[in-house]
Amino acid sequence: MILAAESCDVVNEVICAPANVTELFEFPTIFTVGGLEFSRSSVLMLFAAFVVLALFYFGLRQQRLVPTKFGVAIEGAIGFVRDGIGRDVIGPEGARYTPYLLAMFSFLLVGNLFEVTPLINFPVTSRMAIPAFLSLTTYLIFMFLGFARNNFRYLIDTVWPKAVPVGLRWLVGLIELFSIFLLRPLTLAVRLFANMVAGHLMLSLLLGSGVVFLAAVPEIGLKGSIGLFWFALGLFMFLLELVVSVLQAYIFTLLTAVYIESSIHFEH
Amino acid sequence: MQNLTAMTVLAVEEGGEAAGGLSLVLPAPAELVAGIISFGIVFFFMWRWALPTINRTLEQRQRAVAGQLEEAERAKTEAESLLADYRGQLAEAKADANRIVEEARKQAEQVRADLLARAEAEADQIRVKAREEAANEKSRALSAARTQVGEISVDLAGRIVGERLDATAHKALIDRYLADLEKL
Amino acid sequence: MEGNIEALTGALSLVGYGLGAIGPGIGVGIVAGNAITAMARQPEMQGTIRTTMFLGIALTEALALIGFVLFFIASAG
Repeated sequence: MILAAESCDVVNEVICAPANVTELFEFPTIFTVGGLEFSRSSVLMLFAAFVVLALFYFGLRQQRLVPTKFGVAIEGAIGFVRDGIGRDVIGPEGARYTPYLLAMFSFLLVGNLFEVTPLINFPVTSRMAIPAFLSLTTYLIFMFLGFARNNFRYLIDTVWPKAVPVGLRWLVGLIELFSIFLLRPLTLAVRLFANMVAGHLMLSLLLGSGVVFLAAVPEIGLKGSIGLFWFALGLFMFLLELVVSVLQAYIFTLLTAVYIESSIHFEH
Repeated sequence: MQNLTAMTVLAVEEGGEAAGGLSLVLPAPAELVAGIISFGIVFFFMWRWALPTINRTLEQRQRAVAGQLEEAERAKTEAESLLADYRGQLAEAKADANRIVEEARKQAEQVRADLLARAEAEADQIRVKAREEAANEKSRALSAARTQVGEISVDLAGRIVGERLDATAHKALIDRYLADLEKL
Repeated sequence: MEGNIEALTGALSLVGYGLGAIGPGIGVGIVAGNAITAMARQPEMQGTIRTTMFLGIALTEALALIGFVLFFIASAG
């Protein structure tokens, strides 16, 4: 703290500005519509949607026999979600949920990758709004499917599973009830949110302290060269976050598909 | 180093102290609205444009590939029938050639046999003629010799006996003498 | 720090989260390790195993994620 206070006097304000974690994630209001204060993160969400639209539009625009390299990549991504997640997990019925899964995967992927995009450097999925909203939508879909396909057997068989020995039924039922109706949506949202928050925090701290120390070299002398170490570590984390971004988008989509499947083929 | 750790810990702690920790896990209304709008746009885009488009493209591609395959199949069949035709023609030609060679060989054989037969016949003829001639010569020489011997003998006998012997009257005698002579 | 009781609560929630992450950490390791064994034994089942593995990890991870949220809630109080 002492160091931070000292260096803030000499180093530019951008680095020193965050006095606590929240300030890394909450930005000043840019404009207000109907009492809602839209900040940089809201704008970035819309920008993420725009990026997804642009990528898919330019990838699929020309319907040619032999697609361009970029077209192949976009088609590969679509095939990955449609066949690798939709069809393989849900089955033949998965085609109905492909638009939802595809929109989810592409939007989350772009949102996550904003974390490691130069000049943006902020994962919009680290704001609870997007994970919570998508998780809630998934929750509503698989709840609706569960009750629509199995009537109230969905709830009853969850609480009182016939496949389990009688003595353990109440315990398993309790765990299942807790897990399906409460933990599933909660963990789905928090997993993505936590990963992105942790990643952004880590990158900001490592790269930020690297810059702070290096900028303070004229003040504190050779001791400041420790900044090089932090900076190198930050670059390593940068690569790691690249993987985490893709993986988290995949896991979110995959779990959505798994939950939908478990409601369609509900057997207890 | 120590300072930095302190800074990190303090930064995290202050985040907690500022009562902003909870605000981090609760969605902000404005961001919720922005997120729903963004995702809605993406979802409608995927649902209404991207997936139908790629399905259409894939169908088109499938049809094109199927057409090309069909075309290739047709060309292959054509080429195969053409090849079979050529093979047949080639076999026919070969058989023809064989037949012609065989015929020629047979003809040559025939000619050779003919020539041989003719030559043999000629040789036989020549041999027979030569034998006949030799026999004729021999008999002529014999008869000439017989006549002469007879005349000489009669002459000699006439001279010895002193009287002229009639050749015709003593023909029997001469013949017997000659037969005796031949027996010797 | 410096005998500040509020600083102590913040540090305590950090320790709590750290303790809460031990169990899920071990659990996720077991799930992933067994999934790898299963994939090595039956490569043709890879897709199913991967999906089940992620489901298992999701269930196991739940505790760590609850701990993560509780950390923020506790440090907010």
